[in-house]
Amino acid sequence: MMTAFLPNLAEPQYFSGSERALFAVLAAGSLFGFWRRFGPILGKILQSKKDPEFHLFPIGRRVRDFVWEVMCQAKVIRERSLAGVAHALVFWAFCAFALVTLNHCATIFGLGFLDPAGRVGRFYFDFAAFFAVACAAGILVLFVRRFIARPKWLGELSWESGLIALLIFALMATYLAAFFVPEAGTGARALWWTHTLALLIFLPLIPHTKHLHLVLSPFTVFLSRGGFAEIPPLADDEDFGLVAGTDLTQLVSLQAYSCVECGRCMEHCPANNTGKLLNPKEIVLGLRGYLNEFGPASEEPLLGKYNAQEAAFECTTCGACEFQCPVGIEHVPIIVGLRRGAVNTGAWEDDHGAKLFLALERGSNALGMSATERDKFVEKSGLPLFDGTQEYCLWLGCMGAYDPRGREIVVALVRVMRYLGASFGVMRKERCTGDPVRRLGNDLLFQQLAEANLEALAQNRVKKIVSICPHCVRTIQEDWKAYGTPPEVEHHSEFLARFALQLPPIQNQEKIVFHDPCYLGRYRGVYEEPRRVAALAGDLVEAPRSHERSFCCGAGGGLVFLGEEKGERVSHVRAAELAATGASVVGTACPFCNTMFRDAFAAKGDGAPELMDIAQLAARGLPDMK
Amino acid sequence: MKIIVAIKQVPERDAQVRIAANGKWIDEADLQWAMNEPDAYALEEALLLKESGGACGEVIVVSAGPERVGSTIREALAKGADRAIQILCDDLNGRDALGVARLLAAAIKPENPDLVLTGLQSEDLGLGQTGVIVAELLGLPHATMILHVEKTESGLKVKRELEEGWFQSIELPTPAVLTVQSGGNKLRYATLMGIKRAKTKDLRTVNAAELGAEGTPAVVLDQIAAPKKQKSTQILPGSAKEAAAALVEKLKTEARVL
Repeated sequence: MMTAFLPNLAEPQYFSGSERALFAVLAAGSLFGFWRRFGPILGKILQSKKDPEFHLFPIGRRVRDFVWEVMCQAKVIRERSLAGVAHALVFWAFCAFALVTLNHCATIFGLGFLDPAGRVGRFYFDFAAFFAVACAAGILVLFVRRFIARPKWLGELSWESGLIALLIFALMATYLAAFFVPEAGTGARALWWTHTLALLIFLPLIPHTKHLHLVLSPFTVFLSRGGFAEIPPLADDEDFGLVAGTDLTQLVSLQAYSCVECGRCMEHCPANNTGKLLNPKEIVLGLRGYLNEFGPASEEPLLGKYNAQEAAFECTTCGACEFQCPVGIEHVPIIVGLRRGAVNTGAWEDDHGAKLFLALERGSNALGMSATERDKFVEKSGLPLFDGTQEYCLWLGCMGAYDPRGREIVVALVRVMRYLGASFGVMRKERCTGDPVRRLGNDLLFQQLAEANLEALAQNRVKKIVSICPHCVRTIQEDWKAYGTPPEVEHHSEFLARFALQLPPIQNQEKIVFHDPCYLGRYRGVYEEPRRVAALAGDLVEAPRSHERSFCCGAGGGLVFLGEEKGERVSHVRAAELAATGASVVGTACPFCNTMFRDAFAAKGDGAPELMDIAQLAARGLPDMK
Repeated sequence: MKIIVAIKQVPERDAQVRIAANGKWIDEADLQWAMNEPDAYALEEALLLKESGGACGEVIVVSAGPERVGSTIREALAKGADRAIQILCDDLNGRDALGVARLLAAAIKPENPDLVLTGLQSEDLGLGQTGVIVAELLGLPHATMILHVEKTESGLKVKRELEEGWFQSIELPTPAVLTVQSGGNKLRYATLMGIKRAKTKDLRTVNAAELGAEGTPAVVLDQIAAPKKQKSTQILPGSAKEAAAALVEKLKTEARVL
């Protein structure tokens, strides 16, 4: 037998006809106020273009995301624990209050279904009271944070946020107070009406403010594309990416209206943190502004009044924003979509970008070198050609084939592979996987590169690829899918980690800090493998921002090929952070990170830590093989 | 202004070129092809002239060669050319510069263009003659090694590249033929939209035989060979001063770079 913790909840015993009429008018007004704003928003979302190749199934992943991210509030809590828990308390209280509120409104018509004196009613009201206390505490924390602590991510103060916090607090306070007033007094009636008014004022404020996420974000999380930073296919011959309102898909519009303006994206954005124009939050809010003013049928360019082309091309596609977003907004496909719109129509004019595109239109690699340079390297290093008999195709990538430091990484990996007795060969001819042009939005060039490579790999009967470059790995595995079936591919950290026990460690107690490359960590979820390999050569320490919170080196998204950055260099910020750990070695697992830090450390001068790829660290302990 | 751009398809810059069994040309199997770079600059110049001249201009691309040339023509259409003429012939390499120029001139003549642009030379053979012979066959004035073209009231003002960093600015009437040097402008990249739009553009094909431009070649390609690799190192003896003097002498007389 359950004992109630609280006295019975006091509800007014009767309501007069005029009270009922007043409630009906106010409730209708409140619902009308809600719909007047929410109706057009819903209309804009539904009138947007259908998402090409959107499938509701398999639905298991969607249910799991919904339960984990929405019901459990896992993402909200994990990334900002105090504010996250406060938010979760408010959210759970809202869920618990759904029934209470329904009952509350029903009582005026004598239709209340929860009896404050009954066993079920008493249990549920006590249960809700527990959440009401938690919610009131939570909203206080959030209020203090927003109006007193004021982290800059939250943007400008909004009086509406304050009003909403006040209303939520009033809802909880009036509910709790009703446990402590006599059942038949005017107190109960006054509390009932205050509670009701707070509710009816709250409702029309929802679609007007960022609190729209209450309604939309559960759908946004449930309907998201699912793959991390997944670039959707183009719909048809007239689809060139996000050019105008007519290109906004239902998912993009839904996401634009779901933004809760928490600024986590901005807090983690390497561009925003180094003085660039790009702010992922403003990109999303820009689309919202566009939809509000022009709507989804407009031919007005998306890069114009609300979003700047400059900002779209400052993104390193590191995905920190998308990874952090608690309401399921997929920033990378949006930003890449805007780039596609600009590049596929020729609207983007950039000398460095054009140079990269022309180098890949006319040649094989992003560095603009002659392919004979690769042949020379392959010959000089004695790399066997892949002939279909070997297990692995060692994919060199542009950096591994042409960049001096990239080549050193390949040579080190080859030493380890030979030591392990792995059979491998390199392609006679490789073209860039298309990673930089894919992220910069050049679909024409990407398709050409992907198709040429897929054909060459199929001809050579390649089954398994291992590569030193996380960008190559990602592009081969995920992005090439649009044009064929790529072979199995893995990053050398995964290969090396599998054989880590067979590799001789060295005991020199060197302190190594491992930098998680975006395309290996967030994109591929590989965090432990490279650490296991790096640990062969010393003791690991962690940078303040590591694993899924790792801070980009600045190279991704094709940016390594573009001109000088505005503001501080991303690479310098990250290099300084890595150096500040006191480690004598910075371990990398991506040739692009490597080249960025090499330049950053060179600019710093003496005293910089040594820069080593994990393949080089693994090769350190090998006996000399001559 | 009606501008015709003559373009050639050549092996891609990164192509691993092998000499064919008969030693007379390269083995074309497995080769990737691209637009001859100076021709790409000629096309860019044509597009810029058209864009600066308002809506009335037209850029027509003409190219001779086998079926495969179509891909390079489509690239030119994608970059902004309005229509194209493809002269089908499987024996382009058997023709000398005069033979190729006859084909091009025969295709160009009925169009009565205001301007004919082409690259100053091809990246494969590098003869540098085709453009000027076309001018001769069409009876038009020509200028070579053009970096920049400007439309004037009476005709054209062009910037030519001379030796050792010198430039020459000349004026000539239209119609005219210009052979364009690489590097005068920045090339535009091909776009998805351009490629899609190019599908609906007019691409007319004519057989070489229909042009009535046949003739016996005056020059016949006898044999091609890969360059011999050679690297020689000389150690200059003596004191630093003597070695420096000897180096300067060698740079002047042997390397001829000073």
